[in-house]
Amino acid sequence: MSPMKLCVPGERLCSTEDCIPGTGTYLRHGYIFASLAGYVLRKNEGEELPVMSVVKETETQLLPDVGAIVTCKVTSINPRFAKVHILYVGSTPLKDRFRGTIRKEDVRATEKDKVETYKSFRPGDIVLAKVISLGDVQSNYLLTTAENELGVVVAHSEAGAQMVPVSWCEMQCPRTHAKEFRKVARVQPEYLQA
Amino acid sequence: MAGIELLSDQGYRLDGRKATELRKVQARMGVFGQADGSAYLEQGNTKVLAVVYGPHEVRGARSKILYDRAVINCQYSMATFSTAERKRRPHGDRKSSEMSLHLKQTFEAAVLTQLYPRSQIDIYVKILQADGGNYSACVNAATLAVIDAGIPMRDYVCACTAGFVDDTPLADLCHAEESGGGTSLAVALLPRGGQIALLQMDARLHQDHLDTLMEAAMTACKGVSKVLDEVVRQHLQEMSILTGE
Amino acid sequence: MLKSKTFVKKTRSGGILKVVREHYLRDDIWCGSEVCVECKDESPVLEKDPCMESSMCTFPHYLIPDTNVVLHQIDVLEDPLIRNVIILQTVLQEVRHRSAPAYKRIKDAIHNKEKHFYTFTNEHHRETFIEREPGESANDRNDRAIRAAAHWYSKHIPDSAEIKVVMLTNDRLNKEKAEQTGLLVYRCDEYIKSLIANPELVDRLALTSDEKNEITSSKILFPEHLPLSQIQSGIKSGKYIQGTFRANRDNFLEGTVFVHGEGDESTEILLQGLQKLNRAVHQDVVAVELLPQEDWVAPSAVVLQDDGSKGEDEEEEEEEEEKKLQTKQVHRDSLKPTGRVVGIIKRNWRPYCGMLTLSHIKESTRHLFTPADRRIPRIRIETRQAATLEGQRIMVAIDGWPKNSRYPRGHFMKNLGSAGDKETETEVLLLEHDVPHLPFSQNVLSFLPSMPWAITEDDMNRREDLRHLCVCSVDPPGCTDIDDALHCRELENGNLEVGVHIADVSHFIRPGNAMDQEAASRGTTVYLCGKRIDMVPELLSSNLCSLRSNVERLAFSCIWEMNDNAEILNTRFTKSVINSKASLTYAEAQMKIDDRNMNDDITKNLRGLNKLAKILKAGRIEKGALTLSSPEVRFHIDSETHDPIDLQTKELQETNSMVEEFMLLANISVAQKIYDEFSECALLRKHPSPPPSNYDILHKAIKTKNLVIHTDSAKELADSLNQADIEGFPYFNTLLRILATRCMMQAVYFCSGLDSDFRHYGLATPIYTHFTSPIRRYSDIIVHRLLAVAIGADSTYPALMDKHKQAALCNNLNYRHKMAQYAQRASVAFHTQLFFKSRGILNEEGFILFVRKNAIIVLIPKFGLEGTVFFENKDKPSPKMTFNEEVPTLTVEGHTFNLFDRVRVTISLDASNIQHQKIRMSLLEPVIPGVSVPLPEAEPEAKKAKLDR
Repeated sequence: MSPMKLCVPGERLCSTEDCIPGTGTYLRHGYIFASLAGYVLRKNEGEELPVMSVVKETETQLLPDVGAIVTCKVTSINPRFAKVHILYVGSTPLKDRFRGTIRKEDVRATEKDKVETYKSFRPGDIVLAKVISLGDVQSNYLLTTAENELGVVVAHSEAGAQMVPVSWCEMQCPRTHAKEFRKVARVQPEYLQA
Repeated sequence: MAGIELLSDQGYRLDGRKATELRKVQARMGVFGQADGSAYLEQGNTKVLAVVYGPHEVRGARSKILYDRAVINCQYSMATFSTAERKRRPHGDRKSSEMSLHLKQTFEAAVLTQLYPRSQIDIYVKILQADGGNYSACVNAATLAVIDAGIPMRDYVCACTAGFVDDTPLADLCHAEESGGGTSLAVALLPRGGQIALLQMDARLHQDHLDTLMEAAMTACKGVSKVLDEVVRQHLQEMSILTGE
Repeated sequence: MLKSKTFVKKTRSGGILKVVREHYLRDDIWCGSEVCVECKDESPVLEKDPCMESSMCTFPHYLIPDTNVVLHQIDVLEDPLIRNVIILQTVLQEVRHRSAPAYKRIKDAIHNKEKHFYTFTNEHHRETFIEREPGESANDRNDRAIRAAAHWYSKHIPDSAEIKVVMLTNDRLNKEKAEQTGLLVYRCDEYIKSLIANPELVDRLALTSDEKNEITSSKILFPEHLPLSQIQSGIKSGKYIQGTFRANRDNFLEGTVFVHGEGDESTEILLQGLQKLNRAVHQDVVAVELLPQEDWVAPSAVVLQDDGSKGEDEEEEEEEEEKKLQTKQVHRDSLKPTGRVVGIIKRNWRPYCGMLTLSHIKESTRHLFTPADRRIPRIRIETRQAATLEGQRIMVAIDGWPKNSRYPRGHFMKNLGSAGDKETETEVLLLEHDVPHLPFSQNVLSFLPSMPWAITEDDMNRREDLRHLCVCSVDPPGCTDIDDALHCRELENGNLEVGVHIADVSHFIRPGNAMDQEAASRGTTVYLCGKRIDMVPELLSSNLCSLRSNVERLAFSCIWEMNDNAEILNTRFTKSVINSKASLTYAEAQMKIDDRNMNDDITKNLRGLNKLAKILKAGRIEKGALTLSSPEVRFHIDSETHDPIDLQTKELQETNSMVEEFMLLANISVAQKIYDEFSECALLRKHPSPPPSNYDILHKAIKTKNLVIHTDSAKELADSLNQADIEGFPYFNTLLRILATRCMMQAVYFCSGLDSDFRHYGLATPIYTHFTSPIRRYSDIIVHRLLAVAIGADSTYPALMDKHKQAALCNNLNYRHKMAQYAQRASVAFHTQLFFKSRGILNEEGFILFVRKNAIIVLIPKFGLEGTVFFENKDKPSPKMTFNEEVPTLTVEGHTFNLFDRVRVTISLDASNIQHQKIRMSLLEPVIPGVSVPLPEAEPEAKKAKLDR
């Protein structure tokens, strides 16, 4: 990479006529300004204009956003919902834990009324979920697993072994061969590394 | 008896500066590993440590949550050894609560809080040594820490004080000058746009003098911003060399 | 920004505090010399060819004095001959710390462009800054810093310029060290003596205690002063008391220490005898120790002057006097707390005017100097020009007062002119009363409007046009600074409209400029006999601001609507333009009113005013306003020689009182208005009611006449004064009023935000200010400005609204007013002397005003002159005298003198002491053998005088 241009917050980068504002920038009076200290990145993403963004060496703080796929860990369960800690947003680890909730009706897309949370998650499971709302006064982030690709990816049996999925709703312990119910995700290769 | 002469006829101040000259400002970013952002800044003999955490989930009362932007939480404190007289400084005394509030207001104006709704950003500043201009040193240090944390800001916030002695505005007052009477005005400025994030003055000043004093304080702020800019660029460069390897 | 930084830690103990301060060292401080090529100084101060011809330094050179030289030899440094001096910052700071007056003077010298004094900020210069070494005292460090700076200079100034740097110090150690490093160093006196151009400068050298060539054999006369630290701890523990020393004007062996107590309380401690006074000089701040109660004494009523021509060794006589003073038996009640001075906290010396008393030894260079102010002790000075200074008024500064010297030591500063000369005496009078009287500087004059001046269109638009009104002014004859004018007219509704128009001085004097500052510092115009020291330049005082007749002038008007009973229905203030129709004298105005044939507008105007004034006055008296009296004298001055040819007491006419009434009314109205608008920063004037003890003398006095006087309130006092009359003694009432006047407090200016008591006792009004004489009083200018802001006619400025600045201004104004009064009295006294000098001896009738232990004070109504008749005489045995303090009476050889007794005295001028020429009075009647003087050959003289008239 050629030596990239450094920029500092408040620096004017270019006019909106030349670029589309990306991350680490903001718009004012028709100009794009940097809001971070970092390097200016100009990328053509097939649009008419290149996207102007500012990137930092160290990953910037991300917050779970609506629609984002997050990786979380189940902390507790009750008949109505499961509580989770959000660990990753996409592939970015969060420095801080954010709490989220998967309500019973958001566990799967079909037969919503027959869902039992105990048969879907267990504390300690690692779950892939999608943010559906930032929540309100009573609740935190609301998450959903109502997609085939979402659900439990890693779970441990009572014996302590990591279980393998056997169907979309069951997982088996390799040691005791006991089967446990889970809302299992059909893990796509791109998520595997996480 | 005869008080101290704050400005000599030759135009030199107590410590040898001229009226418009700032104290030496030195700073470093990223001094703490565990925090999201941190900075240490010396403005003359005033030394400040600023640490930033966040944005993270709102802690404590959920009622604080703002749905359209992040909450900025500031805490200002002074070390027991920060002044000439060693003194226990309990948290939450009037002076530091007020200072905390001022810092909060300043940064709410500068940080792009709407990018992080429902979250909280903590800014902790500690005065390690106080020699006048505490507020401005805190703001300057916190700016660097926020930048270090990678929290988007509109612009730097640069703060500086200015005082008024013998009809001459003095920039960046030291402790002796602050306590030597006269009015002191603190301005926090977004230097590029020239917007004022906070303006504070707690003594009387005649209206006619306000403009010149503001002018002096703003010029001083711009002076500070140059120094901060330097520090940030230097830091970026160092970081890129580190990561480049 | 060229800043190089090093840190210096300065610890300052006193409590355990560690103060860390930054100290920036710079490389952009220039040397200030014209010859220097390195420094980028735009306007160098030091000249290229510094020329001070000295026999020791034959080359061009700059001087660097050390702190002590600046402190002690400021008189020399101020001489125009001394130029191109480098004042180091170290020196300046030390001077500032040690002596405020010296600091001010050296600063003045630095500001004077002609002097080429340059301040070198050595403490912040990278190459001249030095750090204090461990174990080094602050003084030593400073000395070293001075040497370092001198060294730098000698290196820095290019050799080609051939200018050397000469350091001046009186400190031997410092000198030696400097010499070691190869600097040119001289003692200050050495150097000054070597100056070729001006041998006279040597006299101005202050004698420093460093010179040990004093006669050490002489005995120690005074107890040692305690060191300051001991005094401070003593004051803290209550052992000593701090106060201001005030010498007694009449008795050089006595003084009081005025102790400021908490709040308004303040006490006085009496000091008696040279030992107890212990070298305190008038106005010094001293520490005193109270004596045990059994040693307390009463203030002596003896008048004692140190005017004997005693030499140094003739102190025995004085001791006797002291004894006499102390052994007198006094009533226990009159004992006052008595103490002795243990140390001096702060000297308050200033240059003193006076005359030289030549030493008996012809060749001697030491002489005694007698100050004009009797409260100041005589000062020993050294001069070689004694012969030329004899009979001249000179100025002398005190350098110190060693414990083995009867008199303080000082040095000659300036020759004012020959004594007795009117110019010189006036100069002395002004100097002694601290009246700024130099001509206005160019800087001040530059703020005058350019002539020809005319009222502009703009002025007209902003102001109310009152030119059509029939305005006139009434003033004393010969008055050129007319600041008030009046009008009165009938309105359509039958009411009267009365206007007071005051010169709009604040239009010309804008806040903050040099003219304003000068006026603020002068505070007031000072009227002396035959001379006026203006507060504002003459162009304003006698022309542009003076409301002369038939010219258009700017005014500030106060206009009332009144009914026939002089009740105010409506008040308004406005800036205006007026055109006075007539400038009258009091007498002319009176004539117009009295002359029934006159019926022109002006006369009608005056009659209306007069009628209202009478009602107003009656109302005021009803409220308890006092009519007091003081003998005022007016001189008829010869138009050519300016010598007084006759003197008469001022006569008051109805018109005087008419003008006065309206001025009072205007002042009160304005005071109310500005206080309503600016309750925090209105400049007002108050007259506190006197404490009851002030009236003691009055009570005692009136008792002798079997009358009673009530002093509980102003009203009662006024009433009882009105009733106090004695059959066949018409002057008694006036005498009483004179006495009552002396009981009063001084009226003062103050800032309303810092005081709560606003009453004006004498005028019996709850609020008062000065508005009507802005040409001659600065207070009025401030009041004008306040009022202008209040009515929206002008804009405000910072200092106007700052109550602390206002208070400081008030202090100055009060001081200037007091001094102006004293100066005025002194001027009258001097002219009275001139008058009696030309008159010879006169015999007159007078009344006893006060009784003292050994004298009576007599008032001569004819001249309004007060004099003392002494019953003790140096060459005659003292008569038998008994003094009864209770009544008070004085019985001399069987004859008892009571207050108000009628006596006949001869008046003559005693010119035996040229400095204190005084009016001598001796008793003629009642005839007391051995005391009164025989009727001298005065009668023919008096007759002749009558013929002259």
